[in-house]
Amino acid sequence: MSEKARIWAEFPSGAAVLGAARRMRERGHTRLDAYTPYPMPELEEVAELPRPRLLLSLILLGACTGGTLAFLIIWWTAAISYPLNVGGRPLNSFVTDIPILFESSVLGAAVTGFIGMLAFSGLPRLYDPLEQLSGFERTTIDRFWLGLECEPDAREALTSELTELGALSVQREETRA
Amino acid sequence: MTSATAEGSAAAWPAPDRSPAADELALLPKPQTDRALTEQLLDCVLKPPAWLDRAILVTGLGSFVLIAAVTYTLITGIGVWGNNIPVAWAFAITNFVWWIGIGHAGTFISAFLLLFEQKWRTSINRFAEAMTLFAVMQAGLFPLLHMGRAWFFYWLVPYPSTMKVWPQFRSSLTWDVVAVSTYFTVSLLFWYLGLIPDLAALRDYAKEPWRRRLYGIFALGWHGSAATWRRHRIAYGVLAGIAAPLVVSVHSIVSMDFSIGVLPGWHSTIFPPYFVAGAIYSGFALVLTLMIPARYLYRLEHVITRDHLEKMGKMLLVTGTIVTYAYAVEIYCAWSGGDAFDRHMLLHVRPRGPIAPIFWTVIACNCGSPLVLWSRRVRMSAVGLFVVTLAIQLGMWLERFLLIVSSESADFLPANAHYYSPSVIDIALLCGTLSFFTFLFCLFLRFVPFIPLSELKALEFELRGRS
Repeated sequence: MSEKARIWAEFPSGAAVLGAARRMRERGHTRLDAYTPYPMPELEEVAELPRPRLLLSLILLGACTGGTLAFLIIWWTAAISYPLNVGGRPLNSFVTDIPILFESSVLGAAVTGFIGMLAFSGLPRLYDPLEQLSGFERTTIDRFWLGLECEPDAREALTSELTELGALSVQREETRA
Repeated sequence: MTSATAEGSAAAWPAPDRSPAADELALLPKPQTDRALTEQLLDCVLKPPAWLDRAILVTGLGSFVLIAAVTYTLITGIGVWGNNIPVAWAFAITNFVWWIGIGHAGTFISAFLLLFEQKWRTSINRFAEAMTLFAVMQAGLFPLLHMGRAWFFYWLVPYPSTMKVWPQFRSSLTWDVVAVSTYFTVSLLFWYLGLIPDLAALRDYAKEPWRRRLYGIFALGWHGSAATWRRHRIAYGVLAGIAAPLVVSVHSIVSMDFSIGVLPGWHSTIFPPYFVAGAIYSGFALVLTLMIPARYLYRLEHVITRDHLEKMGKMLLVTGTIVTYAYAVEIYCAWSGGDAFDRHMLLHVRPRGPIAPIFWTVIACNCGSPLVLWSRRVRMSAVGLFVVTLAIQLGMWLERFLLIVSSESADFLPANAHYYSPSVIDIALLCGTLSFFTFLFCLFLRFVPFIPLSELKALEFELRGRS
């Protein structure tokens, strides 16, 4: 089967990569990918990245789990396992539970959000095949990469087009893990 | 002629253009490439100034004071402190409330100001977050020691023990445990999440293999793909969104330690908002206390600009005014509430009793000193702000001391009345935590990119990049 290869174009500035991404999108290229030193919401829109709904739902679930778990622990220890009458106050008293329930929900959400963000992004990872691209190590500093899928025979035309749009280099990705 | 970065007389500073665009641009370094900005900010870490290692050495040695005081306390028992009955809380809880309050401004700057899209937070948020972490570490030490048998700290956690007893969750002290440990964890995650992209930049920028490897481990293999950035942005926003109410809740819970008690001067519903305002006030002051010298020593006057200082000065003024209002309401409530003990505490013991000098110092430092910030000249002057923040630090510590010692030393029975004076160990613990805090902060400056690089570049792109 004829493999669609992914090629990567290196740009010197945010404005250049954004312009190039818009142009490529107009030309009908889909499945754009990009690497940038800082977040670029506009680029995310051009690349049509979906909203991470699953991550957000998991965070909500984490909050609910944290709160529920805390409530169960407080209720079971105070009212079931070892009921202790302190001045005739109710054993299962929701009002005094509120601070701990709130804190535990926050903890659940924060831990889920942190782990979820890393897990969905495939982090931590020891090696990324993109590190083979020459000059890729400057991505975190001042280089912007735009990734496109292209047929092998369209590669040269695309390369010259990207160079016209300001790409410093256009390289082919060797293997995709 | 004055140079743009010179400190000193603010009078020579030209009146700035007040249009919103100019306001925002004033928060940015002078136009420079991403490369130059990266080099400058990462070189702060890779080529640390000579004074920093000396500071680490001195504060590290100072931390031995803390270790010695803690060890002596653990071996001998807390009888070596000045605490007595009725003044059982004294220095330990004063320090706890003071340190944890300081931490809150860090989260306030990074979370609230992020949600309100305040662009000026960008240069200073990591500073403030690190301050939060280290301050909470100091704060956590005191309740643990104050328990007396600190090695039984795990009794605070509900675990199935053979004694079959559980923590009493209807007590505000267990709320404290949950609040402080949650607060520390969330602050750590929030700080680290924001740090990952900058650690990756440091990994890619450093020359030495050991540095590349070390920072590489902590950068978790970050390269910054668009999808990862999107998740990062969203997760960061969510964490900010939940950290903001967390700040309010944590110090509200700390204040409930007091307000749930019945002592005169404590049993008041004004405590949660009053404590939260005080916490953010003292924390903003400490951010400035740390930032002004660092900004000067690292020559970062163009990254942390005078406009940043001015905005922080305004925040001090706002929170200081809220604190003043809270003091007034506290006294008014006691006066109008009709409780004889409360009235005696608020209208006689504090302003006119033996503790009166502390009361009036608190008023002078917390209500009086921020008034100079009405002047734009003072807000724009690093030295002026620095002096004001030191006064606020002192005032806020004394406020907690006043609150604890005055109420405990004069409760309902005159026969109980007993005054308090700290022991050498008390003072050593306080000084030790100050030194340990500074030590941790110097380590942070030494090893971690302390200005959020990627956020600053993003801001640069947002405000200037398109032109």
